[in-house]
Parts: sequence; C-alpha cells; structure tokens
Amino acid sequence: MPSRLLLATFWLAFFLSGPSLHVSSAQTPENELSPAIESPTPFSETSSAPPTAEPQLPETRPQERADDLVLLGELRNSVLVSPNNTDTRLKLSQALYRIGDLDAALDECRVAIKLDSRNARAYLQLGITLMAKQDGQAASIALMEALQLDPKLTQAHYSLGTVQYSLGNLPAAIQSYRRALDLQPDFPDARYRLALVLKLTNRHQEAVQFMESAAGSGIAQAQYFMGNAYRNGQGVERNLTVAIRWWTKAMEFGQPRAAESLSLLRRQALSPDQPEQRRTDAITAFRQYRRELWGDYPDAGRHNSNESVGVALLKGSQVSDGITALFVEALALGEAAHDELAQLYETGLDTSLAQFDTRILRCFTTTAADGFIPSKKALARIYGKGIGVTQDRQKATAMLKGLSKQEMQEVLDEIAAQ
Amino acid sequence: MLDASRLWRRFLGSSWLQAGTMGLLATALASGLWAPASTTFTALDWALYDFWLTDRAAIPISPSLLIVTRDPASEKEFGAGPWDRAILARLLASAHEAGALAIGLDDRIDHASQAQRGGAASDALLLETMSSAGPIVVVEGLDATLTSDTTITGHLSATTDSDHIARRMPVEAISDSKSIPAFGIALYEAFQRQTSPAKPSRSERDLTQLLVNYVGDGTISAFPTLPMSTLWNAIEHHENDRLTEWFTGKIVVFLPNPIAGGNTLLPTGQKVTNPVVHLHALNMLLTDNRLWQPDAAGRTVITLFVAWLVSWLLLHFQSTISLLFAGKAMATYGVLVLLSLALAHVVLPLALPLTAALLVLVGTTIWSHLTSHQRLQLLEQDMLRVQQEAAAVREALVLRETRADTLQEDLTAARVAIAQSAGQQEALTQSADVLRSQLADAQTQEEEARRKLEGLEHQLHSLQAATSKPVAIGNVELDRLQGECRQLGIVTQDASLLRLYRDLKKGAKSPLTILVLGEPGTGKELFARAVHRLSSRAGKTFIAVNMAAISSELFESELFGHTKGSFTGATTDRRGYFELANYGTIFLDEIGDLRLDHQSKLLRVLQERSFYRVGATTPTTVDVRIVAATNRDLQRGVSEGWFREDLYFRLTGLVFRLPPLRERPGDVPILAEIFLPEIADQMGRPAPKLSNEALRGLVEHEWKGNVREFRHCLEQAVALNDGLLLNKESLRLGSESIPPAVQTKQPQILPDPASDAAVLNCLRQRGFDMQATAQTLGWDRSTVTQRLKGLCFQALVETQGDKVRAAAMLAGDPSLTRTVELKLMDYYDHLIATIQPFATAEEALLDCKRRFKNLPDRHFRSVETLVRERFRTGRPASFGLKTGA
Repeated sequence: MPSRLLLATFWLAFFLSGPSLHVSSAQTPENELSPAIESPTPFSETSSAPPTAEPQLPETRPQERADDLVLLGELRNSVLVSPNNTDTRLKLSQALYRIGDLDAALDECRVAIKLDSRNARAYLQLGITLMAKQDGQAASIALMEALQLDPKLTQAHYSLGTVQYSLGNLPAAIQSYRRALDLQPDFPDARYRLALVLKLTNRHQEAVQFMESAAGSGIAQAQYFMGNAYRNGQGVERNLTVAIRWWTKAMEFGQPRAAESLSLLRRQALSPDQPEQRRTDAITAFRQYRRELWGDYPDAGRHNSNESVGVALLKGSQVSDGITALFVEALALGEAAHDELAQLYETGLDTSLAQFDTRILRCFTTTAADGFIPSKKALARIYGKGIGVTQDRQKATAMLKGLSKQEMQEVLDEIAAQ
Repeated sequence: MLDASRLWRRFLGSSWLQAGTMGLLATALASGLWAPASTTFTALDWALYDFWLTDRAAIPISPSLLIVTRDPASEKEFGAGPWDRAILARLLASAHEAGALAIGLDDRIDHASQAQRGGAASDALLLETMSSAGPIVVVEGLDATLTSDTTITGHLSATTDSDHIARRMPVEAISDSKSIPAFGIALYEAFQRQTSPAKPSRSERDLTQLLVNYVGDGTISAFPTLPMSTLWNAIEHHENDRLTEWFTGKIVVFLPNPIAGGNTLLPTGQKVTNPVVHLHALNMLLTDNRLWQPDAAGRTVITLFVAWLVSWLLLHFQSTISLLFAGKAMATYGVLVLLSLALAHVVLPLALPLTAALLVLVGTTIWSHLTSHQRLQLLEQDMLRVQQEAAAVREALVLRETRADTLQEDLTAARVAIAQSAGQQEALTQSADVLRSQLADAQTQEEEARRKLEGLEHQLHSLQAATSKPVAIGNVELDRLQGECRQLGIVTQDASLLRLYRDLKKGAKSPLTILVLGEPGTGKELFARAVHRLSSRAGKTFIAVNMAAISSELFESELFGHTKGSFTGATTDRRGYFELANYGTIFLDEIGDLRLDHQSKLLRVLQERSFYRVGATTPTTVDVRIVAATNRDLQRGVSEGWFREDLYFRLTGLVFRLPPLRERPGDVPILAEIFLPEIADQMGRPAPKLSNEALRGLVEHEWKGNVREFRHCLEQAVALNDGLLLNKESLRLGSESIPPAVQTKQPQILPDPASDAAVLNCLRQRGFDMQATAQTLGWDRSTVTQRLKGLCFQALVETQGDKVRAAAMLAGDPSLTRTVELKLMDYYDHLIATIQPFATAEEALLDCKRRFKNLPDRHFRSVETLVRERFRTGRPASFGLKTGA
C-alpha cells in the first residue's frame, strides 16, 4: 500500500517536471512509454520525503487516477481482443505500473517479451518495473538487455544510470548518464543526475557545469544545489549573492529547502549572536542581490540603488512583475519593498492583490521569525489593530520581542491610539 | 659438575630463589590452564569487577551529552525502515546551526540511497551537510561508495570476552590498513578539539582496549534522551530557542537506527546494541570516570609477584603458620583487587594470580617434602666438613703451640748456658736471637692458626645453629620417626635421638653386631628390642641376658646349655640362651661387667657362631643376631686391660651412644605426660597434672639415673600426693640433686696428687688448649705446659711407652686422644732430641735437670725413668716403636 502511494506521488512530480518529459518523449516513438520511464526518479529528487507545509497540486490526483482506470479498462479489452499484440501488452503493463500494480505489470512485460524476445522497449519496461520493486540487479540486467537490442534507447541509459547508482556503482552510473546525454543532449534530468553523481564523487567543478544547465532548465532541486554550491564554494567561487539568486528561483519552484537556506541566511544577517564577518557577508549579499534584481527587469528603469525594483515596476504599471519583485525583495530584506507590501496588505491592489492578502502575511511572518524588525513591527500593528485578522494584542506584544524599548513603546502607543 | 652441585646447594639454601622459580612455574602453568577453560577463567577473573559494576553507586552522566533517539512517533512519520538521508541532513544542519560542538551519527554512509529513499539527491544533501556542519562522526562502513573528506569515521565494535560479555571496546580498528578510532572516542576527541583546542587531551590511543564504565544498568535508558519526533517538530516550527537550548555547546549523537534488540551482553546482564556501549564509553570519557587495567605484561608481573609471595611465605614459615600466612596473603590480594577497583578504578587480575597461588600452595608443599631430606644431608655434610677443618687446624695449633713452648724452653736453656759460659756468650746470643725469631714466627703462626680456628668454630657454631632449622624443615620426617619410636616404646622428641633412631633403623636391617652405650636408665634395652623388631628377625625369638646377673659358675651352662649328666644336677639336656635365640636376636646386657675368661668364651661364639654345650662333644651352630649394651667405657676397659680388645672390636659393628636425659631436657615434659597417666592408672588413682614450677624443676633436674630415675620420682610423687596437681615440693627433687661439677668429674686415672687431676680435668674441659686452660686456672701458660708435659711423661712410663694408650688415658674423651697424642709425641721427641748429644744417662739427666727445672719433682722422676730406659735399651728406644702412627 505505501508503494502505491509513493507511485502516486511520482506522478505528481512528473507533472511538475514537465519540460524534460516532453523532450524525452520527442525522442521516443511511443509517447505512452515516456511517463512510465520518468516516473520513479523525479519523485525521489524533487519531493523531499519529509512532509512539507505546501502539498503540491493535491486536487489533480483523483482526476489522474480516474483517467488511468479508464485507460486500464480500455487496454484490458484490447488485450482480450488481440492477446498476441506486444504493443498492447506493453501499454497495459505501463498502465498497471502507473496505478502501482507492479506484479501485474511485471507479468504483462514478461508475456510481451515471450511474444517478442527482440523487443527492446519490453525489456526497458521490465527494467523500470523491477527498479520500482527495488530489485536493482534484475533491473540492471533487463536494462542492459534492452540496450543490447537497441543501443540508442536513451531512457534505458538513463534508467540504467539510476540503477547503477542505487547499486553503488558510481562510475557506471556516470557512464550511463553520459551516454544518455550523448544521445539526447537536451535532457535536463540526466544532466541533474549526472551532476549529482559527479558531486558525490567529489568532481565538483564538472558537477557544477551539469548542475547549472539543469538548473537553467528549471529543475528546482538543481537550483537549490546551485545555491548551495555558491554558498559553500564547491566547484565555483563562493558567492552568496548568486546563492541567494538560485535559492530564490528554487523557492519559486516550490523547493522548501531553498526557503530554509534563505531563512538561515537572513538569520545570519539579522541575529546579533552571529560573528560580525558572517553578518556583514550576509547583509552585503542581500543588498547586492536586491541591486542586481534591477537587471532582471530592464524595463523598470533605475532611479537610485536604494529604491525597490518592485515599487518601480508598480509605478510603471507592470503589476504582476511588480508584485513578484516586491515579494522577492521583501524576502531579501528589502525595507522599501517591505513597507510597500505592508501598505498593499491594507489596501490591496486592483485584481492582482486582494486586501489582507495571506501571502503578504506569510511573507512577514517568515521574515519576522528570522528577526527582520520591519516585519515584526508590521505584524505587531496587524495583530494589534486586527487588520484582516482577529485582534490579538498579546500576540502583537510577542511579535515585538527583540526590539529596543523605545521602538516597542512607539508601536504599542500606535496600537493603543487606534 | 662441581658448579652444578654448588648451584644446587645455593638454590636449596635460598627460599627467595625457590619461591621465584615456583612462582614462575605456577604462573606458566596457570596461563596454560587458561586456554582449555577460558570461559571459566574469564568469568572468575572478572567476577569481582562485574559484582562491583552492578552494585556500586551510579556514576554521573555528562551534561554535555545529548542523545537523540528514534521513537515510535518518528517511525510513524518517516517509516519503519531506514530513513531518507535528507532527513538526517536536516537534523544535522539544525544541530550544527543551534550550536552543537560535535555531532555523532549512528549511520553508515557506505551505500548509495535507493531511489525510493531520495537517491543521489539525498546522499548529496547529507554529504554537503556533513562537510559544512563541522566535525561529524559517522560509523565506519563496509565500502567507501560515498566519501567526504570532512567526516570522521568510527568503528562500533565491542570486545566480547570468552564468557560472551562485552566489558571493553577496541580503541582502534584496522580497516584497509587504515586505523579507525572507536565511535565514542572519535566523538570525544572531536569535542575536545572544539572545547579546548590548545590543551592536548589525554590520549586513549595508547591503549588497545578501553574498559567501559557503564552508567546504571548499561542500557540506553540510563541516559536522558531526546525523541527524534520532538526534535523534528521543533525544527519544522522553527523553534530556535528550544533548539539552541538543546544543542548549544554539546556533543549530539543521533541514533536513527532502532536501538532495541541488541545482542551485546553487558556485565549487568542487559543486552544492548553496540552504539549504546560506545555512548557509555563516551560518557565515561566526558565525566573522566575512566577504568584502568594493567596490560598483559603487568598482569603477568602481578601474578608472578603473588605466586612468589605465597611461595616465599610457605617456604619461609614452615608448617601450619605458613598456610595461614599464605591464605592471608591471598585474601589480602582479593581485598586489594576490590579496593583498587573502588578507590582507584584499577582492575587488577584475579583468576590468574589466585590460580597461580593455589598451584604454588600445592607445589611448594610437595617441593619442601621432597627436598627436606636432601637439605638436611647437605647441612650435615657442611658440618662434617667444617668439623674436619676445625680438627685439622686444631692439630696445627697444637704443633705450633708445642713448638713455641719448646723454643721457649730452648731459649731458657740457652740463657742458662749464657750464664754458665761467658765465652760461649756470643754464639749463644746468636742462637738465642735465632730461637727468639723462631719463637716469634711460631707465635705468629700460632696466633694465625688460633684466629683461623676461631673463624672455623664460629662457622661451625652458625652451622649448628642452622641445623636447628633443618630440624624444622625436616620436621615432617622427624614427626614420622617420632611416631615410629612411640610404637616401639621409645618416647622422645629429641632430634639427635630421633636421628640416632633413624640410623639404628637402617643398621637394624644389616646383620652387623650392635653395641648400645649409655648411662643406666637411658633405654638401652628398648633400643635393643627396637633393633630386633626392625630387623628381618622380628618374627623370631628375642632373648635378653644380663651378663652381670649370671653367676660365673653357671655362665657356660646358661649361655651354651649342657648335656644330660655333664655335671651334678644336669639331669636333662638343656639348651642355652644362644640356642634359644637361634634365628633371633640375643641381647647381651651389661657386657662390660663380663669377666675376662668369660669374654674369651663369648669371643669364640661371636667369631664362629658355634659353641660346645657343657659336656657335649659336637659343636652347636647358631644363627644369632647379637646386640650388646653397657654403661661402661669399653674403650677404657681395653686400655686398662679389663676388657678384651678383640672382643671389643667384635662388638663394635655399629655403635650407638644413647644420650642421657639431661642432654635432652625437651623430652622431660613429654615423658611426664606419658608416665603420669600410666602410673596413676597402675595405682588406681586419677591422673594428676604438673604445675609449671614442678615441670620446670623436672626439666632442670640432673637425672643421674635418667628415665628410670625420672619415672621413680614421678611414681613416688603420685603415691605420696593426694591432690590432682603436683607441685615442686611434692616431687622431692632438691635433696638428691648432685652438683654438676661432681657429675662431670672424670674418673681419676692417675694416682697422683689431686692438683694433677684438677689440671688434667681442666685441660680435658678446655680441649687441651693451653692458653684457655691457663686462663681458667689463672696460671702462666708455661706452667700448664710443664704440668701437661709431666703428665705425659708419667703416662708414658705407666704404659711402658705406648703413646696411644698414654694419650687415650690422658685424653679421657676419644675425640681428644689425637690432640694429646700429638702433644705427647712432641714432648717426647723434644726430650729425645735434648739427650741425643750426651754419651751417658747421667750427663743427659744433668742437662734435663737444667732444661726441665720447672717440672715438678714427681714428674721429673718420670723423665729420669724415660732417659734411663732410653740409654739402657740403646737407640732407637723401644718406646718409640710403639707409636700409634
């Protein structure tokens, strides 16, 4: 039962890493095969096993499952009609695999191989199913058989890389991933995986190259690792600003670890307990990131370095970009953007931003927890005055913890005046 | 060969050496015994330690140690099997961020993660975290699929003793020729580097094994732990304050694997997993509650020492007290083991020393039994050797002394000659000088000889003192001899008498004639009976004949028997004692009282073992073992002529001299103890006891009549006393006591004035040492010499020039005969040399008169007789022919 749940989660991940899927499917003649091939791997990489606060697209699951069941019924009928058709059997096997009935899927694969022992795709499917059953040795034999029959089967190389890795044979895994990339250079998942294995064999520079291209292709996990690489100076020169850039991107793609890393860096910048050098480095990195953000929006123009790019974009009526930039800047400790968001929380902005938007509240809560004083003050006002939330003076007072007495008194006076 | 025997002698003489050898052997044997029964030995060796570990007060838990364990809630969240490494990465990162100083992770990162558990991404995350989170100690894996330069690997082994209990862990393990530290030690070292980088920590790496000081019952529950789920919730909710509170400044150990169901057995009886053992070791290091154990060499040395000590105690203190001491030593060692454990945390070996001590106990007892006899022999040999040397030196001394005296006389004579002849003065002066120098030389030599004698006597004395020890050493044998004696009715604990008995026992087996000498009442007949019972004739007849009690007329008839009609009253054939004792033993008591004519008759029987019955024409042959006894001095009898010499030599096949009771006062209490109940029983009265005073009186009394007198004294006391306690008065000892001077007085053999007898007596007492005698008498030495010279000449005259007899007569004691003989010969030779130049006896006597002017007149008469005899018989003098030499 848990394995089925896991499989269902694979699918979710699969949909998230859509681009790579399409690229690979373009190479393979049978579109139906590709989901099955991709399914086991992205699951483990992009969704970290500990449950996170933000479940991704939970509403899509029942629909997916219903579609699968319908397709399964159809395929079973087709097999009944023509039992000796290998393709039909393989499709049925894929459908069974997708719903998590691995034993049935294996049986169908074996029947297909019996019917056509020279069918590389049948072996590929067998290998993938065996991988899901955690039978690495058998899976690698099946995949090698598939490659012997069809050496250009990119998916087989890719899957074999994964199997080799789980068997602990890292050089073989690297070789398989490289073959897959030779056959299909535009294969971000293969790049990401190759980068990971290279990283684990301490070939950091090479790893960073592959990781960067995978990150560029939008793989959030790769972006997160890029951020880590820049923070730690592994394979690249240490650069916290670039690290912040990659983490922010990964966070936008829903990578929770990236958000945590950013949070940690914010705490470094704000906590008085931190060593001075660390603090200064973090503050400078955030400032530099906010400056460089202007480069992402060439239309925004530039007035002065301390100004918020979000505010500038809003002024230039680029509302959507403006709001995104405001959040990014606020999370990068931009006080101007923060003030603007605090204002927008109370007022709202046309249709793009509702009044008392929870995203703003969540953003403030996050930065306040990291010790960002403007956020603390803003939250104290929101809770103290009951703006869009139930009034809670106690919580408001608690929010002001860590501020100087004078500042605290000012805010409390302001709340009291209301 | 000589060296070997000397070494052996030295070895037997040194209890240190013997104890050392015994200790060495016992240690080797005990070590050898360990192999076949290692489980038992190991359990015994650690018995006290295990007992102490279980029952002592709990040791503290380090506040720096935080253990995060897997709990059911976390298993519910992350699954029951191995967890995604991303989870571990997050835990490690949080701990590091919250200020943990050193982190331990009970996980092997030797394999790649399955795709279902995060695959390469989770592995990369973990490695990344480990490299950034500072010193992290992980468990050594089987292979190195994933490697990180910054992680420290530690092994999780525990050393299981042969009784299957894990008390120690290896400090380092070797894997692929790399040395891997123990997990707990690696963590401790990482922590030390963080807390005090400047101060080098005490290194455990010098050891190979580390004894683990377990907290409580040794399980994980002995430590306060933090559940993984609680920690995870705190991380999820960003509760940084709590995280900081938990982690700051601590060693954090994550145990993501199940810790229940281990199979490592602890001394406390609990079963745990190996990481728990290492956690206890870590706590021990953190709280500095280390336990120490001596290494193999140290344990061997301790074992050797204990074995040596026990052996030495057994060898040094004989008998039961030594066993007591040895037992005490072993018990003390046991207490020492416990004390060192409790006070110094040092674990001393137990099984090996105690086994070795027990082996030593058995071995040493056997050894001392085996060697006691040999030791005794060696000491007796030593004594004999020194005695011989002393005798030799004594002879030399006599010669020197005599020569000095002679020279002195010559000097005096020369002086006289000077006075007489002034013309010859110069020549005489020269001669006097020569003589003086010779005298000085002789005196120096004499002094040297005297010193040497003193040294030797001292040595002999110390050896004699040492022989009291062999008595103790061989007391087992003496005890046995004493028991045997008791069976034969001989009551004694005197070592010399017991040794005499031992020799008698040996002699009894031989067919030799035995002569038992001793004062009346010393038990001659008892010993004679003992000879019979110990001989192969024990089953045959024993006939005791008192020779003094047989009338001279009936002597032959009694001893040899007679035929019918051989004389008036001989109505039947009668067998004599010798015939009656055929194939048995005949005991001829009071043989010294036998008349001379009877002696010759007896001699024939002894020679031929055949005799004629009175009136018989055919000889009767018998096979008889002869044991004779007397209280008279037969040797003197021979010299005085009342005992036949040939009979004397026939009888002295083996001679045993029984010591009088006064020479063995130690036997008095034991005799009293035996006699009193016997006497009381005979008289039908309750057995009385002796008061201490009475016993002292008995011991101090001169028992002239020896045991017989002693028994009579007791009989008298029992008969005349009604009480149950005999005191000194009731023994009536005082009036009969004879002064020892009278007792020791030698029979007077010379019909000369008493002063000569007194001088001779004194000389005898002093062993014919002139100087000593002179000191005793308060005389000048030359006076004593003159007296002895006179006595010698007188004795020579009386014995018609038989120097041996004369010497024996003067010496009294056979042991001094040789000394006297030497002196006598010297004096006589000097006399001959003096008269040599003269043509007539008269001239010679004139010169002698001058030379021996200090000689008393009565003795000069002897000189005169000798000189005249000399001139009468011509040269060589007949006297000179009868020397013993």
